[in-house]
Amino acid sequence: MSGAVCALDVRSVSKSYGATVALQDVSLELRAGEVHALLGENGAGKSTLVKVLSGVVKPNVGTMRIGGEPYEPHSIVDARRRAVATAFQELSLVPNLTVAQNLSLPQQAKGRLGLVSGAATQKRGAAILNRFGLPLSSSALVADLTLAERQRLEITRAFACDPKVLILDEPTAALAETDWLFGLVRQATAAGAAVLYISHRLAEVRELCQRATVLRNGRSIGTVGLQEVTDHNIFEMMVGRSQAEEMRRRATAGASTRAAVLEAEALVGGSLKNVSLKLREGEILGVAGLEGQGQRALFRALVGLAPLNSGSVKVDGAPVRLSGPDVALKTGRGIAFLPEERKTEGIFPALATATNIVLPVVGRIGRAGLVSERLERDAAAGSSSKVDLSSRYLDFRIGDLSGGNQQKALLARAMQTGARILLLYDPTRGVDVGTKQSIYAAIRSFAESGGAVLLYSSELPELVHLVDRCLVVYGGRILAEASGADINERTLVAALTGHAAHETAA
Amino acid sequence: MTGTRPSAALQAPADTRRIGRIRSETISTAAIFVLTIILIFASRFVSPALGSWDQVDTIITLASFLIVVAFGQGLVILVGGLDLSIASMITLGGVLSTTWNGSFGSEWALIPAVLVICACIGALNAVGVIWLNIPPFIITMAMGIIVASAALGYTSGTPRGAAPDAFLALMKGSIGGLSAVLIFVLVFALLAWTLQSATAFGRRLYAVGANREAARIAGIATWRPIMAAYALSAACAGFAGMMLVGYANGATLRMGDSYLLPSIASVVIGGSSILGGRGSFAGSVGGAILLTTLGTVIAALGMQQGWRTVIEGAIIVGALLLLREDLIVKLRSVR
Amino acid sequence: MSANLNAARVTAPGSNLAVVMRRVLTDGAGVVAILYVVLFALYALWDRSALTASGVTNLSNNAAPLALAAAGESLVVISKGFDLSVSGVVSLSNVLMATYPLEGPGGALVSLMICLAVGGAIGVINGVLVAILRLQSIAATLGTMIMGQGLALVIMDAPGGTVADWVSYTLTDVIFGVIPISGLIVLAVIALWLVFRRTDTCIGLFAVGADETAASLSGISVARARVTAFVGAGLLYGLAGFMLSAQTATGNPTAGTPFLMLTFAAVALGGVSLTGGRGSLVGAVIGAATLMLLQKVLFSGGVSSFYTGIFQGVVMVLAIIFGSLILRLASTGARA
Repeated sequence: MSGAVCALDVRSVSKSYGATVALQDVSLELRAGEVHALLGENGAGKSTLVKVLSGVVKPNVGTMRIGGEPYEPHSIVDARRRAVATAFQELSLVPNLTVAQNLSLPQQAKGRLGLVSGAATQKRGAAILNRFGLPLSSSALVADLTLAERQRLEITRAFACDPKVLILDEPTAALAETDWLFGLVRQATAAGAAVLYISHRLAEVRELCQRATVLRNGRSIGTVGLQEVTDHNIFEMMVGRSQAEEMRRRATAGASTRAAVLEAEALVGGSLKNVSLKLREGEILGVAGLEGQGQRALFRALVGLAPLNSGSVKVDGAPVRLSGPDVALKTGRGIAFLPEERKTEGIFPALATATNIVLPVVGRIGRAGLVSERLERDAAAGSSSKVDLSSRYLDFRIGDLSGGNQQKALLARAMQTGARILLLYDPTRGVDVGTKQSIYAAIRSFAESGGAVLLYSSELPELVHLVDRCLVVYGGRILAEASGADINERTLVAALTGHAAHETAA
Repeated sequence: MTGTRPSAALQAPADTRRIGRIRSETISTAAIFVLTIILIFASRFVSPALGSWDQVDTIITLASFLIVVAFGQGLVILVGGLDLSIASMITLGGVLSTTWNGSFGSEWALIPAVLVICACIGALNAVGVIWLNIPPFIITMAMGIIVASAALGYTSGTPRGAAPDAFLALMKGSIGGLSAVLIFVLVFALLAWTLQSATAFGRRLYAVGANREAARIAGIATWRPIMAAYALSAACAGFAGMMLVGYANGATLRMGDSYLLPSIASVVIGGSSILGGRGSFAGSVGGAILLTTLGTVIAALGMQQGWRTVIEGAIIVGALLLLREDLIVKLRSVR
Repeated sequence: MSANLNAARVTAPGSNLAVVMRRVLTDGAGVVAILYVVLFALYALWDRSALTASGVTNLSNNAAPLALAAAGESLVVISKGFDLSVSGVVSLSNVLMATYPLEGPGGALVSLMICLAVGGAIGVINGVLVAILRLQSIAATLGTMIMGQGLALVIMDAPGGTVADWVSYTLTDVIFGVIPISGLIVLAVIALWLVFRRTDTCIGLFAVGADETAASLSGISVARARVTAFVGAGLLYGLAGFMLSAQTATGNPTAGTPFLMLTFAAVALGGVSLTGGRGSLVGAVIGAATLMLLQKVLFSGGVSSFYTGIFQGVVMVLAIIFGSLILRLASTGARA
């Protein structure tokens, strides 16, 4: 497409944080009027690239140009001045301010004497809301909005400054439907803006975008026209090899006759509206859902981290009240939880890996309560080999390990507890492909030995690959349950977006 | 199964990083002791009486109170809190042990009773922190004021009574040529270090201090280590109070005041993070001895005690600046 | 396709009076104001002189130093921090006033400048340590508090000295026979706050206190907001030390020590959330006034002076619990 105007030209950008390389030699070219997708797995470098383009961080190496002029933003405000606006995945709205105030940040509308005028700010806000068809009150506090409303507000704020370059990072994560957003995007591109669209959802990407750039492990693998490639090709670029053999489903082994080890009946609380499930011995039960549909609340309720308004939980057939993870570990055959964010909820970075692994049972490994690093290492050896974590890493501070090894260690910790029920929340998030395979193998052998696993993953191919049954959660309820041949991406995606899951498998 | 290997830079560089094996705590603790030794030698220039073996013995004796208190404070800081009540707890330990001395029956019933009372007050601090969500520095400050006032009222302003014999013997006596205090300090330091760094209890303290939520998710009943830390801190302070009355053979109402800030300073310059989750008691011991030496030198120089406070404050700020997490990360990644 | 988001999320306005009533009841400053009025009424019933000009002046002089200190602290707490240096600045200001008394209105002005300079300087140091060098505010201000306190001890190692007469007579006096000057000074600070409240910097302060990352991504300079908070607080602490000197007329190197506890109690009682992002300087001022009035009530009640400390400590803890309860009530009330 020669002659197309280049809106944003990114050349050989690299960014490192200490020893960790987030971006290596990434180049990208956004043309005016195009919607350009940025694809990649978690941890591929997309969010770092977004930060670089938005002026939040400065690259170590590389140049950027807008319309031929150098673009070196020192801050968000700088970027906005060059007509670059971003809707962030981690929403950048301030919760204790109103909708109108957020729309005006960082400078509110002024009235007399140069002082902020609440009325003028409200008017400005209402006008913007009107312009973009957002049915919110401009005086509402952002803290009172739903997640979907906040996402729309975040998007609106980005569009409102009439940018020439618009970056949308996972803009549909909390949205029920995409028409509103797509309409705005098409309007903007028709007016000559360039849009960088980051999303996991290939269906949406194909509908909206013309070209796509794929990142993997911090590098740009290539830029392709979406008409010319299949999903298979894209997967290959994202993960590095053909997915075909890997994503084959494992055979189910008559799990429906086994004992139910974990039962939940009509759970209500937080974002859970009414959830019931039955997890059986030896079973891997999957949970699929878009972000914010209640899956996090479900997992946390099942381990006692979130209170329940009503509903009951049974472990090994006996009703229990789970008041916390420490209680859950000791209830029945034991429930262990692998949390969503390993950095903030999982690891203790300054402690050794072995210490991290044996921590829940550290009182049992020595005599008279005395422990030593050697004792911890010996105790952790078993579980670490189960997750294919090299014993060499047991002595090191867990904070020094790669994300994949940290995740393995956390899984080892869950197994070390001796619990026979594992609740795994997105266990392969931000983890490289080799590690994923190790984790899959560990989960499978755990189930084969009679353990029960409740598994949530944001990546459908993974669920398809691993689970015996799959629940689809939507709006705090279980919308559908798939088993056998119904567990395929197409059916699951249909269920996830809220349509009835009655399509026959292709 | 072949897969693309992640690029080398994203792989854990742990194989080539020997420096990972040497803990940064060991380095900073060693530094403190080296600094202290240098200071002791340098103090000879100030006055010939300083820097001799006798003086070292005196310094350790003087530092013994701070070492005991710094252990308790260190545990509280380790779990992410701060104990501003220890000044009053020192006073309480001293006041109760002297006032009740003789009328309580055996000394060996009196001393544990005082320690238990102190521990219970410490537990109250923990209740405020854990369940009432009151910031630690506020609840411990309030408790300190309450206890100080209670002691004032109870003694009507004038504490009476003699120190328990056990503590008189501890502070003034000697065993086989070495002063009893020295031996006590060694034994205490060893036991305390073991409790913090070589027990399951200690491991839980580190976890809770590093990240309370993660510790909870990992299956630790987080309230237990936190409560134990505050209770131990109060008990240590009470014990130090009894040591002080043994040394001075009597209690005064503000006897604990001059130990509060130095206890925090000892812990911080000893390498513990003020946020919790990191540190070793060995460093706190070094810090306590360093600060005591500093105080002695300042007094010998004839400077006002106010300067000692200023220097302590500057040391705290300096230690905070040098021991920042991001700096440590940078140091570790130099390879 | 129509958006299936329900448009009914718009907050219903209701009648104006109902909105105002609800806002007063659930706003932290409103509750403590009611508390003060009730307490004052009780006190006045007991001691008639409370309603006279001299009675009011007495209360005002008593409360002004803490009110100013709490006002300063509220700035830092709103931006999600803790400033322990308040006691260091107050001690240092008081000691300087008593060691170098400067007579006359001109001298008073210079003394005021000195106090403000001390407070401002420590505020700048705090700001740099916390906002730029990224230290924890508790730890950094603990350090500056210790240094400030130490300097005060170096300048004056025991209570003594005299504050300039003009300061201690005039500033504790009244204008037009009825309006206490100390009260006017506090009102002036409140007026400044009401103006500051309508600036981008102040909104930035609230934003940073609620969610620093979101604030930064929205274009707010987090460092500038924090430094402004600390410097503003430091200036107010200096002013508090100045007014304290006027009230006590003498110097005391540990004059600031009781302020540490009282300031946080006042801030919490006044509805400022200790977790940042919510509250008002006005609330902190009223909280301070309430605390000082409570102390006066306890004293007149004949509580033995030995045990006042116990009451102080207990009241302070209760103040904080009460304050956080009010906030929780406010947030659930707002959603009703």
